[in-house]
Parts: sequence; structure tokens; C-alpha cells
Amino acid sequence: MTRGWRVVTLGVVFIAFFTVVVLRLWYLQVSTLASALETSYLQRIRVVTIEAPRGDIYDRDGLQLMAGTRATLGLVVDRKLVTEDREGQLINNLAALLGVPPSEIRAEFDEQGLGERFRLSDDIGEATGLFVLEHTEDFPGVTIEPVPVRVYPMGEVAAHVIGYVGAPAEDDLRRPEITIRDRVGRFGIEGEYDRLLRGTPGTIYYEVNARGEVLGIIEEEPPIAGASVMTTIDIELQRFLEDSLYDGISLARQDGEDVIRAAGVVLDPRDGSVLAMASVPAYDPSLLSDGTLTQEEWAGMSEKAVLNNFAIQGLYPPASAFKAVPYTLALENEIWPEVEQEEYRHLLDPNDPSSFYADGDLEFPETPPFHDWKVHGLVNINTAFQVSADNYFWGIALKIWYDEDQNLLQDWARAFGYGTETGIDLPYELAGIVPDRDWFAYHQFNNTGLVRAEGPWSGGDLMNVAIGQGAMVATPLQVANSYAAMANGGTLWRPRVVDSVRDAENQTIFSNPPSVIRTIDISDETVRNFLSDLHGVVANEGGTAHKAFEGFGDSFERVGGKTGTAQILVAIEEDEQDIDTAWFVGVAPLDDPQYVVAIVVDQGGSGGKIAAPVARAILQYVMGEDVDRIILGEDTD
Amino acid sequence: MALGARLEISPRTSRRPDFVVITTLLALSAIGLTLIYSVTAPRLEALGLSRFEDVARQTVFVAGGLGVFALASLGSDRQWRLMTPYVYAATLLLLVLVLTPIGAERYGAQRWIPLGILDLQPSEFAKPALILALAALLSSSDEEHMSWTRIGQVVLLTAVPSVLIFQQPDLGTMLVFGFVAVAMLFVAGTSFRQIALLLLFGIIAIFIAFQLDILKDYQLARLTGFLNPASETSSTVNYNQLQSQIAVASGGISGTGLFEGTLTNLAFVPSQQTDFIFTAAAEQLGFVGAVVILGLFALMLWRLFVVAVVARDRFGQLVALGATAMLGFHIFVNVGMTLGLLPVTGLPLPLLSDGGSFYGTVALMLGVVHGIWLRRSRVPGDRHLL
Repeated sequence: MTRGWRVVTLGVVFIAFFTVVVLRLWYLQVSTLASALETSYLQRIRVVTIEAPRGDIYDRDGLQLMAGTRATLGLVVDRKLVTEDREGQLINNLAALLGVPPSEIRAEFDEQGLGERFRLSDDIGEATGLFVLEHTEDFPGVTIEPVPVRVYPMGEVAAHVIGYVGAPAEDDLRRPEITIRDRVGRFGIEGEYDRLLRGTPGTIYYEVNARGEVLGIIEEEPPIAGASVMTTIDIELQRFLEDSLYDGISLARQDGEDVIRAAGVVLDPRDGSVLAMASVPAYDPSLLSDGTLTQEEWAGMSEKAVLNNFAIQGLYPPASAFKAVPYTLALENEIWPEVEQEEYRHLLDPNDPSSFYADGDLEFPETPPFHDWKVHGLVNINTAFQVSADNYFWGIALKIWYDEDQNLLQDWARAFGYGTETGIDLPYELAGIVPDRDWFAYHQFNNTGLVRAEGPWSGGDLMNVAIGQGAMVATPLQVANSYAAMANGGTLWRPRVVDSVRDAENQTIFSNPPSVIRTIDISDETVRNFLSDLHGVVANEGGTAHKAFEGFGDSFERVGGKTGTAQILVAIEEDEQDIDTAWFVGVAPLDDPQYVVAIVVDQGGSGGKIAAPVARAILQYVMGEDVDRIILGEDTD
Repeated sequence: MALGARLEISPRTSRRPDFVVITTLLALSAIGLTLIYSVTAPRLEALGLSRFEDVARQTVFVAGGLGVFALASLGSDRQWRLMTPYVYAATLLLLVLVLTPIGAERYGAQRWIPLGILDLQPSEFAKPALILALAALLSSSDEEHMSWTRIGQVVLLTAVPSVLIFQQPDLGTMLVFGFVAVAMLFVAGTSFRQIALLLLFGIIAIFIAFQLDILKDYQLARLTGFLNPASETSSTVNYNQLQSQIAVASGGISGTGLFEGTLTNLAFVPSQQTDFIFTAAAEQLGFVGAVVILGLFALMLWRLFVVAVVARDRFGQLVALGATAMLGFHIFVNVGMTLGLLPVTGLPLPLLSDGGSFYGTVALMLGVVHGIWLRRSRVPGDRHLL
């Protein structure tokens, strides 16, 4: 074999290979060199994230805590730091410590998975925590850490404004700072201001050896607490609003109505601040935030949609409460109803162009005749508003239909904020609908089921818009905000529930000052008329809330409002039935409006009968009157 | 001895099988199955499957592989030589097929042809095909002086399957091809100067591949990550290797005991029944067990060298050396990877790693070499005698 040396050379190469490998094995497994050098080469760094305490939420005075954070001691297990042979003993020790069966702890270990770091218990108490720290050898891989726990000291009060903290949803997980184990703000201020409230988690870098034992802390970045939110909520008014809404529900129930819920909002018409906002029945955010909610409880909450804030998510036909818009535009443009007046010419007031005889019904070609809820007789723009004469506002609609720009009414509605989200700093607000010819054509063409299948947009449809019925829907906040704009002389504010966000040093890091959406050009004369007619609704003999406001108190002259009774077609056991939803929008004091109250009692009956008494109580409260027990008003529109 | 002496007189009849190769083959296969069971059973049980799911499948592969070994032993080197062009062509065809929609993609690489219950991995079968092809080519060359033409032919024979495998991509197999080709060229008589020039060309080619961005990102990550371990301790690649070293280190002298590997059983070490099976061995069986396994491999390689020396002609000698180079390279690169000496290239450990195609390939290779042993010349090195 002439090339023997070449084969031998290859053999030598392989011998070298094997030698290197065996030396490496010896170094890793046998020699103490490896353990001596492991801090430099095999050194592992274990990164542990420390949750930041979430920022607080306060009322407008900064005195009442609406949401806060309590530090509890949490027991954290890091399975990477426990060798398998010690895990059984650790589980037994933990079971004895926490007073739960070992099988439960084993189950939790299995659920979390191998090598995971997880919180076994959230609130172990100081004595137990101390015991663990004094017996670390019995609890390998266990650390005691302060755990921030979200608390809502007021229970259900302002639940919808606050929101709650829960497991992240899919879109939350798209945020880079959110992991599946985090909890994030959901709904309300917790959701809207989550980025500012959540703070920055801290990090501890532990040095860990090859066996996973902690050698020490390399670096520690403490967590930065979340910033605190100062709301515009007047907490006592908030409580009062919620109590009154519950009273309204009881009232409707006594009256035999199958009432579902009630919602309300109190705005400051001077800057759009929300002083109170409620949707009842509500929920206790702590139940959702601590994760102890049972499946049945959750199902019950879902069925009643209690998580939804109906003050901004409830869409109702504004009904007669909407008449304020055609009322304002009629006064501004001097558009007066003229239809079907030939036979009553002799009855009308020759000095008042707005004079009108309401005979109870009105016909529009190819449309079934419209029937008013009552025969009002001789009215004018002022009394028609006070007695809520549908006839009159239909007449305005038809006058617009025949003689004006046919979108005039809708343009005014949109100017006052209908059909668009108000832009309040709360999530999931709905926009509502202002139907017009284009909207109608679109839905008819696409067969969405919102409009009839046959026939074009007609004067009859516009008549329905004028009394806030038909396809027209709005949220309680939109209605309140439109009244605020009319009461303050034409400024439509963007409603807000948060004034500012402040860091731990009380420095403002985010400011949410009042902001104007638009100003609407209305004359002082119109505003004066409007405010005085609001009072007429509650004070004059024929006013729709006359009975509800009897015995209001000394400040009676300074309050007013408008009723509304929305007829909503509801399917009940295969039968379609018109169910009334009650509205009332109140303003006080009329000489210097500071409060606008909108109340909806969902399927509660007539506005004058059910919603007006609720609003009356709130107006009594804000005007400093003695609040008497709320009683049924009169069955009006 | 009397029996042996009598057999030597009649060289055409079959000789005594090589019990050393057969024993090491069986021993390593048994160790492999035990380790596969050890690392897969807890996970399978946790998944609610049979603890034997994985090991049962591999047992079938081992049984089939041993059959392949026996059958291949029957073939003579001359028969192999005649078949070589067809084997090589068939392999190229499979390597092309795997890139077509017939091939299946797993873990980001298109390496498999699905055949019902088992997936064929043509890049594994390309290894013996290349060894046979190079042996056939080089055995007809001048022993004293290796011409550049012949070297060029070797490069071409190696490059064609390499390019196909690169498309999959499978960097590890390409490295095997390179090492086998250089080793066989060297043994066939290529001068050091020629080999040095060849390696220089190779380095330039790799450099160009880097510049033209032909190498995949993950391949770069593995190589650069290995070269710079401190830079990205969090990267998965280094994490795997670091975990592997920690597991090996925790084995100590005598190991944590079979079926008792905390780190491997706790699934800290990835691919532990395939590429990182040596980690499980080192953790559970300790330094002693690891050295026993390496010793068995060394014994096997030594026998392959002996076959190369006693082969009756140059083709057989080159086939045996090619097989030795391939197995040796696999062992060194795989074990080196688990111990943090070499980058992660995805080369399995012969006979131990879970997987059918590679087990079959190694069994085939050993069978072919064993066949050469059975037909060895009476006098070592005297290959012209018969």
C-alpha cells in the first residue's frame, strides 16, 4: 500500500477530533474548571419583570378615589429554579403553607408548564410572606413579591366611566408592551387611558448558575408607577344619578312596564365636562378585575349587556326630545307650518305668523295619515314645543319639504352633533343615525332592512325625522350635548370625562382641556325662547312634564326640560309591539345654565310619566332643593 | 484459529463477518433507542399518547436498517462500481424532485419526500451516492500524480448535488460533501499544494456567497452567533447550545441516571431525540457513558480504516475511506455542536439520532464497507493478488 501514510494521516485527524471532544466533555463534566468559569461563560442571566402599580382615578376634586392600587404580597414560583427532585417536596410545603390540597398546586404547576415563572397566590398576607422568607431552604424557587392589585372602592358607582382591568383582547396584544400575562384596561377610562395608567414595568437581572440557582442581582430597574387620572366626575352627583335611575326603574316597574335599564348623563353646558354618567344595571369592576367571576355570573352580565355604557352606546330614537332642533331652526329661519290650515284660518292669531291649529292628524300623499298623540288645538312655536305637538313639527317638516332645501333639518341636526360621535374620551361610543335621502337610498339599494323596500324618500319620512322617530337614533350623551349647545348660546363642546393625567410628582403629563367642536349661529332671542319654553314644559298647564314637576321647590322658576316618548317596535313572542322608551332632558338653572341632564328609561313608558320624575329629582339635587320621593308623572308625549 | 486458517485458503467463499463492526452497530443502535425512549416518553405521556410512540417507529427503522446492512454486505465492490452511475443519477433525480411540489417543507426547509408513513430525505442518500461516485472516479486516476482535470471532475461531481441541496437548504449536508470530497482526494493522492489551492478556492467561493447574499439569514445567524457567543445570549440558536452545555455539565461523571435527565426531560434542550441526542446521553449517563459511546464510535471507525487497508482494490479502499470520513465528520460535528465547540449545523449523530433516512443511509454505508471486508485480499494491501 503505497498511500498508507495518507490513510494514517486521515486517522490522525480523527484521533485529534476524538481527543478534542473527550477533553471538552471532561472539562464540562468532570473538571471543576467549568464550574469555576461558569460565571464567565456559562453564566446565565435571568430577567424578571416587576409589574408597575397602576395609576389612580379620582373624582373632579381629587378627593374621592374611584380606582386605586393596593399592594399585596404575591407568592411567585420560578420552576426553572427548582430541580425536579425537589418539586414534589416544594408542592407539599406550599400546600401546607397555603392550606390547599397538594393536588391543586400540582395542577397549577402543570397548567403553567415546565420552566415557567408564575404567581401562585396573589394575597398571602404578611405573616405567611415572612415565613417563606425565613425558610427559603424549604421553598426553593419561591419568591415573595409585592403585587399591585386593582381596587375600586366605590363598587358599582361610576363603573361604566371607570371601566375595568382584564385579560388582554386580541387587539391589545398587538401593542408591543402587552404580553398574554398582562392585564389591560378594558372599557371606560381604564381602557381609553390604559397607556398612561399602566406605568412601566421594572426589571431585575439575576445572575444564575448552570443549575439555575440564583447567585445575585446584577441590575435592578424599579417599576415606574402609572400616572393618575383626574376626572370631571362629581362623585356625589354620580351616586345620586345612579340611585335616581334605579328609582326610575322601580317606578316604571310599579307602573307595569317591562323596563330593561336606564341611562343618564349630566353635562356642564359651559365646557362639556361630564359631571355624571351612568347606565344601570351596572357591574362591580373589581369582580371583573380580580378574575374571580364565575361562568354563571359572566353569563348573567352578558345577557343584560351590563358591560355596555348605554349613555354612549345606547341608540334610541330621541323622539320629542329632538323637537328642539326643528324648533331652533324654525325660529332662526322663520319657517312656519302652513298645511291643512284653510278651514282654521279664522282661528289663527293674525299677529303671530307661527300660529297653527293642530287638529290631531296630518296627511301626506301616498303615506298613511299621521296621528298626533293628542288634539292640541291652537298653538304657536312656543306652546307647540311645551305641549309637544307633533302636528306642528310635521308642519315644519312639510314646509321644508316643499319650500326649502330638503336637507335643512338634517343639516341642523348634524350641526348639533347628531349622527356623529361626540368624541368623548371613552371607548366604543356610537354615532347614531340622521336619516336623509342619500342614507335612505343607500339602505334601500343594499337591502339592509333598515328602511322599507319600496318607494322613494318622502315628505312623510322627513316628518318622522322632525319628531325624532323613524330611523333616527341618538345616544343619551348626544341628546344632552345638543341641549347644552342650545342652552349655552350655540357652542357645541366635545364632552370629556378626564381633565388631566398627573404623574407621581403631581405634574400634569396629559391635559384634556375643554374643546369646542363647532359654534352654531343662533340668536340670543332664540336661546331666550328655548330656555323659557323649557320652563313652560314643566310649568304651564298643558306642559308635558307639568304634573311631574309639581311641588318642585323654591327654585322651580329656574328649571326646565323636555320630555320624549320613543316608540320602538319590539318583537315580543312573535308579535311586534310598540314599546315606549321614556326620555327627559333637563336644564338648570335657566338664567345661567350649568347642568344639562338627559335621562332614558329603556322600555319604561312615557317620558312625562317616568323619565321626568327621575330628572326632576336630579334637578332638585343640583338646585339644592329637598329631594322628595319620586312619584309617577302624567302620561304624556 | 484452525477455522480461520482454513477460510483464508479459499478467498472466494464468504469470509467471517466483522463482528466488531456488527457489535458496535448493534450496541450504538440499542443505546440510541434507549435514549430516544428516555427523552420522548415523558413528553408523549403528557400529550396523552403512548410512551412508546416515537421509540416504536425508530425501532422499525433500526430493524429495516439492519436488513439494509445485511443486504448491502452481500454486494461485491465490483457490483457497486457497476451500479455507481445509476445510483448517482437516481440521487440527482430525487434531489430535483424534493424541490418540486412533491417535496414537503418542515421547519422552514424543503428536504423531505413524503411517502405515507415515512418521509424520505434524499440528501441523506446522496451521501453514499457521492462516495461511490468519487471512489469510482478516483480509483481510475494516476496514484502518483493527481491531475487538475481529475480534481475538476471531483469538484463537479460534488458541486452538482451540493447546489441542489443548497436550494433546500441544508448547509450541514453540504459541509459533509466538502469534507468527504477533500478527504477522498487526499487519500487518492492529491498533493498538499493542490489541496491548499482547492481550499483557497472554496474560501473565496464562500466569501462570494456571503457577498451575494446567497447564504440564508438563519445560516448566517448560526455561524456568527457561534463566533460571538456573548453578543446575543437571547438568540434561540445560542440558547439551544447553551442549554445543551448546561445539560451536559449537569451530568457530571456518572450522569443523572437513565430516564432521570432533568434538563433534557424538562424540554430545555430542543431537538433532543434528533440533533441533540448526545446531550441527553451526556446528561443521563455522565462522562463515563459519553466516553463509552464515543469509544464505540472510535472502534467502528478504526474497523473502517482497517477495511480500507485490506480492501482488494482501490475502489473498495476509497469507498471505505469515504464512509469513514462521512461518519467521522458527522460524529465530530454533531458532538462538537452539543458541547459548544462547533456551530449548530443540523447534522444528526449516526445510529443514535431519531430519524429513518439517516439511519438507513449509515446502515447502507456500513453494509457496503462490510461487503468489501468480506471480499478483502488475503495479504493486507496486496490488492492486485486476486
